[in-house]
Amino acid sequence: MTGELVVVGLSHRTAPIAVREKLAVAGDDLSAITKSILEAGAAEAMIVSTCNRVEVYAVGGSDLGRSVRATLTRRAGGAKLDAHLYEHRGTEAVRHLFRVTSSLDSMVVGEPQILGQVKEAFGVATEAGTIGPLLGRCLHRAFGVAKRVRTETGIAEGSVSVSSVAVDLARGIFSSLAGRTVLLVGAGKMGRAASQHLVSAGAKLLVTNRSPERATALADDVGGEARPWESLRDLLVAADVVVCSTSAPGFVLTHSLVAQVVKARRHRQLFVIDIAVPRDVDPAAGQLDNVFLYDVDDLQKVCNENLQARGRERDAAEKLVEGEVGEIERWRKTRGVSPLITALRAHVLAAVRGEIDKTAGKLRGLAPEDKKSLEVLAEAITSKVVHPALVELRRAAQADPDTQEEVLGAATRMFGLPDPRGPETPDTEGGHPVDDGSSQKGGASNAHSRAEPSSSPPSELERP
Amino acid sequence: MLFAITAVAYAASCALFAAYLWEGGQRLERYAKVSLWLAAALHVAYHIDTVALGERRGSYDIHAAMSALSLFVALGYLVFGKRLKLVVLGAFITPINLLLFLGAGLRDRSVVPPGVRSALLPLHISVNVLGYAAFTLAFAVAIAYLLQERQIRAKRIGGVFQRLPSLDTLDKAALRCVLVGFPLLTVGIVTGAILTGGFAAATAAEGTRQAFAVAAWVVFAAVLLLRVSAGWRGRRAAFGTLIGFACACVVLVGYVVGDT
Repeated sequence: MTGELVVVGLSHRTAPIAVREKLAVAGDDLSAITKSILEAGAAEAMIVSTCNRVEVYAVGGSDLGRSVRATLTRRAGGAKLDAHLYEHRGTEAVRHLFRVTSSLDSMVVGEPQILGQVKEAFGVATEAGTIGPLLGRCLHRAFGVAKRVRTETGIAEGSVSVSSVAVDLARGIFSSLAGRTVLLVGAGKMGRAASQHLVSAGAKLLVTNRSPERATALADDVGGEARPWESLRDLLVAADVVVCSTSAPGFVLTHSLVAQVVKARRHRQLFVIDIAVPRDVDPAAGQLDNVFLYDVDDLQKVCNENLQARGRERDAAEKLVEGEVGEIERWRKTRGVSPLITALRAHVLAAVRGEIDKTAGKLRGLAPEDKKSLEVLAEAITSKVVHPALVELRRAAQADPDTQEEVLGAATRMFGLPDPRGPETPDTEGGHPVDDGSSQKGGASNAHSRAEPSSSPPSELERP
Repeated sequence: MLFAITAVAYAASCALFAAYLWEGGQRLERYAKVSLWLAAALHVAYHIDTVALGERRGSYDIHAAMSALSLFVALGYLVFGKRLKLVVLGAFITPINLLLFLGAGLRDRSVVPPGVRSALLPLHISVNVLGYAAFTLAFAVAIAYLLQERQIRAKRIGGVFQRLPSLDTLDKAALRCVLVGFPLLTVGIVTGAILTGGFAAATAAEGTRQAFAVAAWVVFAAVLLLRVSAGWRGRRAAFGTLIGFACACVVLVGYVVGDT
């Protein structure tokens, strides 16, 4: 082993935006800085840089944290970062990675973007060649954990932004937004964001504003059509969703206007989102049949409730993460005995093959199928012979260092293997713990797969 | 015995659909659907055993009609619910279905007087059974509509809101069910009138049943007419459907209770 996982970074929890922006890394810089972390002594490295966090994940020895801190400080132009930086090592670092990827450490718990951002960082690091077996394994596992957290808990359920709540509500009223008409009344910033969400769900956008120039500019900007303010009543009749965000001091959509519109619409459902302050729509209009009115407080209330609901799911998600951290820890420990397991298996297999070849040489007229059967036999005998020893070695890997040393030494001496404490053998199976093959029957194909180490990191953690 | 097992299966299905509406989750959804398919399969076996092969071979008793109504409601939901992706409606349909099935259990003797038995009677019973099945589905959809509308007005867009279909979908589904049920009920009333020689009721109970059957027809006709002429939809149409189904229920209860 060449070290353990270390994470050094800062996030929205520890640093204000003014500090975070000094460290933000993007584009070509990302792979350059990742490489500089390697030069600082890391065996593997990856940088996650989002608007809410900048974190360096690296594999290395006990001094690595200090080197990474120094690199980050240089990056921030010498600014004092120590008060904002956190550092986790080993199991803590794995837990942190899993929590970040599963969006448990996000500003909005359960938001989906972070998973994509970590995947992107992983892609950049892979391209730069800075991902090795440990980081590769931990990240693949992290992606699996994030998926489990999203599907097995309610952490990602319910929208938590005003715009997406508006879209959710519209979908509760209309079977589909495709082909529906959204009318944006006023050219306010919030209204623009909400209508953009609705348009991206397939709706057609009409924009009306007292100032026709602003209506045209906004319509051009968001892909809608500008309509004259004077035709507001007709536009209300045609629309399915109305988003109001004018800066008018009084009601723009009065009760009587909406009542007239409802009649003219022949009672088709009308969803009105009033995100103006002061309000644009008379609250009494929301009592009319087939009119559904939400103001900014209503939308915010829904957001808060959804956030609370996500918070209630946090415990279940944390428990799930904890289980997966345990798995990766078991794998990490088993990985320490992998070189010995590989050597032991190869040693026994070579001996068995040697004996079989000797006997086969004396036999005449062996068909290719018979030779294949003998190969399978060699694999099967090897698996049978080494299985108890491998079980013991894996058990020892989970024990304290003294016991581990004792068992590894005994196995080395018994089978006449090279000293496992010598230079570390590269991870021949792309990070997989070596399997004794006892659970597999396809000996020949198995042997083939062992002869050709995989270069890609594993997608699933094999349980020892 | 098979009747009791089927009733228990329907009850289990009811509980599972209610749990799914409340809690959500793919596992509950799957269990609920499987339990209803199982109950419906038991029901088919029961129906064949009791009606087609049993003592009631060829008879036109209330038990068989109610049992068939319950079965059509279950099968109608399973087929159309899947097609229209309205799985959650099972939470509203299965309780009614269970009541219809238990109602069938209350009547195990034929009540059709020999005097009214004719070649027209099978048609009368069949169209009524299918029509009432369509209205039962319309009723369940209307309840779902009102619940969903209530959730939206109360600004509760959590679990139940997420699982129920959109108002638009529910409104269209209710309309379709009424459109299927209405012509069947019309034929049922006309054939009933022919069978009884106009609307001459032999007993007060029969008179009440006839009056409410006509009332149900009038209400559903009004709902359809107002939908077309005045653009009625949504809550008003849902309430109209509830009133129409309430009238139809009086007719059904009248049959279950009988002339006594």
